[in-house]
Amino acid sequence: MARSMHIMVVDDEETICLALSAWLTKEGYSVETAASGQEALARMAEKKSDLYLVDFKMPGMDGLQLLAEIRARQPDAALIMITAHGSIGSAVEAMKRGAIDYLCKPFDPEELSLIMERVEAARAIQQAEAPVADHYAGTSQLSWGGIVGQSEALRVVLNEIEEVAPTNASVLITGETGTGKDLLALAIHMRSEHAHGPFVAINCGAQSETLLESELFGHEQGAFTGALKARRGRLEMANGGTLFLDEIGEISPKMQVNLLRVLEEKKFCRLGGNQPIDIDFRLVSATHRDLRQLLREEQFREDFFYRINVLTIHIPPLRERLEDVPVLADFFLQKYAQETGKPVEGLTPRAVEILMGYNWPGNVRELRNVIERVVVIARGRMIGAEELRFLKTYDDSCRSAPATLREAEILHLQGALEACDWNVTRAAKMLDIDRVTLTRKMKRFNLKRP
Amino acid sequence: MSVDISAEPLLDLIPYGEIDPLALSVLAANLQAVLGLPTRVRPDRPLPEDSFIPVRYQYDAVKIVGSLDRERDGARFRMGVIQRDLCIPILTYVYGESQLGGRAAVISLHRLHHIDRQVTFERGAKIAIHEAGHLLGLEHCREPGCLMRFSKQLEQLDLLPMRFCSACEYEIARLLKRAVQNRY
Repeated sequence: MARSMHIMVVDDEETICLALSAWLTKEGYSVETAASGQEALARMAEKKSDLYLVDFKMPGMDGLQLLAEIRARQPDAALIMITAHGSIGSAVEAMKRGAIDYLCKPFDPEELSLIMERVEAARAIQQAEAPVADHYAGTSQLSWGGIVGQSEALRVVLNEIEEVAPTNASVLITGETGTGKDLLALAIHMRSEHAHGPFVAINCGAQSETLLESELFGHEQGAFTGALKARRGRLEMANGGTLFLDEIGEISPKMQVNLLRVLEEKKFCRLGGNQPIDIDFRLVSATHRDLRQLLREEQFREDFFYRINVLTIHIPPLRERLEDVPVLADFFLQKYAQETGKPVEGLTPRAVEILMGYNWPGNVRELRNVIERVVVIARGRMIGAEELRFLKTYDDSCRSAPATLREAEILHLQGALEACDWNVTRAAKMLDIDRVTLTRKMKRFNLKRP
Repeated sequence: MSVDISAEPLLDLIPYGEIDPLALSVLAANLQAVLGLPTRVRPDRPLPEDSFIPVRYQYDAVKIVGSLDRERDGARFRMGVIQRDLCIPILTYVYGESQLGGRAAVISLHRLHHIDRQVTFERGAKIAIHEAGHLLGLEHCREPGCLMRFSKQLEQLDLLPMRFCSACEYEIARLLKRAVQNRY
């Protein structure tokens, strides 16, 4: 499957150029080769590449000189230096001067594949940011790795990230579901000194304790029934990068003890193993729960809490920063219009008014889903009040002050289903639950299309 | 994919050195059944002398592929099978190497070894089918359950089912039809 990245391989050895070019072509990249620094610069004048794989040692212009020339002509270009074994010093020098990574030849296919994955991930973030950055250039609006807004509250959050990211301290991100805590975690990683390492995320609330333990710690062969082979866990995978533990408030006290030991000793053993493995990663955690309340209820360990909570960043709910709504709506509208190829250009003032008047219990995720829906059903160039009619009904039904939690849930589900013309798939997506869960709830509450 | 085993072979499986005949049969059967590529097993032959890299104690896959490509006789596609460790100049090892949209490929069973012979054969069949996919012109696929996905480790290879995703399957059918038309 073709990928959009264009890569230039620069090496004076033809066999290396051919082999790398063949490997990358099979991966779906478009590749060109150059046998010298001069040839690379001449080719670059005709067509710029997204990534340059440059041999350190070449006659004439060496890899470091070419790196400087490429950076001068194309500051946003990514460059990976290829060095011979035993010349780590030159690789470090290249990294200091702006290379994003290095490979010692001959390199492991797994290593090359992992580096390409990292380059692609970084590029995806850059691309997600770029159109919005262009769109909002010269305005007071904020755009940062997919985080968009214009409120003072968001500005404070972004300033905190700028301060926190370069340190190595553990960060706890708090905020309601759907506020974009995962994006903040990724932004911290991308601005930290671990940016070139892996970003490994795991949702602690989405799995059972035993599965979570195996996912985090990995296991040795035969550690338990079904452990046919040894397997690396997320702790090992995050080595040299960032480990993001989402929904940390959901983990059991036993798992808190295990993780605390890992964080303090910086080593652990796989399940069923007795060989300690050294690890070094930056920890970022997130939760929508009030951990201090859990502390008081003795559901969360104090020592673990203070270990993960060296620095805290709180992202306010969307209803407390409604001035971000128009910017976010515009951002998602551009994104989905581009993805669906629909000629939708914007929102009418009345539509913006409706969006600003809504309570957004599902936060940014809900706004994103709403905009995706209106772009899909849009018929004209502008989204008006008519297309957002469902939102008003939905909000009104949610605000009708139900007496019990059960009533609130029924009303909320009913509102979502009505808003989606009783299309279960769409309603489940809007509610951010899976279809089976919604169907089960509909059966339990006897919710049927009138 | 439907297979006409009576059809003229489109792929020659060429053992370099002594290879377990059962392994060759499994490879040929899977290439025919999964990919729909009529395959025949040729007599074994010695490895090209210049393909051995003494300092790495490995065989250069590019040179073996080159020598297979230069052969005039034989089926439209040819795939070497070796028991020794394969590499290419820039990579420490490869399980297989092929020309994208070309004629020749080679696979090695060396790193695929498992205590259970059946697992070794299955791994070999997956690599052979993957490389044959490249010969037909297919690039790597991102679908998790597709044989054209690049496997970084044996663990990932073992998890792959013995099939292609629907997009690759469609593409293979199209490319195979073209290959049959340009048989020689």
